[in-house]
Amino acid sequence: MSEFLRNGNLFSLDLSIDEAHILINLVEQLLELLGEGDFNHHYDESDPFAQLMSQLKAAPDEITVPEDSVLLRLLPNAYADPEAAADFRRYTEPTLRGQKQRTLKQVRAALEIIVDEDRAGVVEDLDSEIWLMAINDLRLALSVRLEINPDSFDIFEALSDNDPQKAIYAVYFWLGWLQTSLLNLLTGG
Amino acid sequence: MATDTMAESDLDISQLVDKPWVTIVWDDPVNLMSYVTYVFIKLFGFTPEKANALMMQVHNEGRAAVSTGSREEMERDVQRLHEHGLWATLQRDDKI
Repeated sequence: MSEFLRNGNLFSLDLSIDEAHILINLVEQLLELLGEGDFNHHYDESDPFAQLMSQLKAAPDEITVPEDSVLLRLLPNAYADPEAAADFRRYTEPTLRGQKQRTLKQVRAALEIIVDEDRAGVVEDLDSEIWLMAINDLRLALSVRLEINPDSFDIFEALSDNDPQKAIYAVYFWLGWLQTSLLNLLTGG
Repeated sequence: MATDTMAESDLDISQLVDKPWVTIVWDDPVNLMSYVTYVFIKLFGFTPEKANALMMQVHNEGRAAVSTGSREEMERDVQRLHEHGLWATLQRDDKI
């Protein structure tokens, strides 16, 4: 299984072609959910992950609390009070949304090189902070769809290999493992 | 001078009326403990010990106050925590 590598201040990620496909599919779906769909996506509709994020509705004309639970997790309320939360969101949500889009687009651009060559490859000289945030947002998004809770690993292990949910859980836990490998490099752990 | 005295007096009153605000980070079952600690160090410049203690407080008690200050400063902190995927809110600090 691939992991992040560090050489001095340079970080890289060695990916199998399957891993690169899984990552770029998730990144593209999350970008589309965040309202940034200005690219030809790499997944097709038969992909088991294709429907994970896709609860797309037309974006509302004004900025309101997201109806989609993944969006609400990524763009949460800043205040418990609904009125204060709505005010804050009106002013700040475009910035937060834009930051998440830029982060994911940067990761997508790096993955696209590998996926388009259709063979295993290394993402060289990657921005560790960008990848850390992007992987975290992917984990958060999947966690909402999987309804992750402290018992989820036991639930995952008890699933039969034929269960379609099993592959999605496996990706979720793989992303956690990948994120840990990067954190270890960043903190010298 | 009189104007200075007036200004200081105004400041004292405003501090009594405007309670400080506080940024709260809430526990969630997804963010890795090592990631939360890392983000606290990155955003607030805490020592690893302090960042780890706050992370453990979030984990064990469900929430922790990670910064205090003006409303504008806390809004900025919440925004940066949201950029990093942590679940954060701000509120008046009622303890003071």
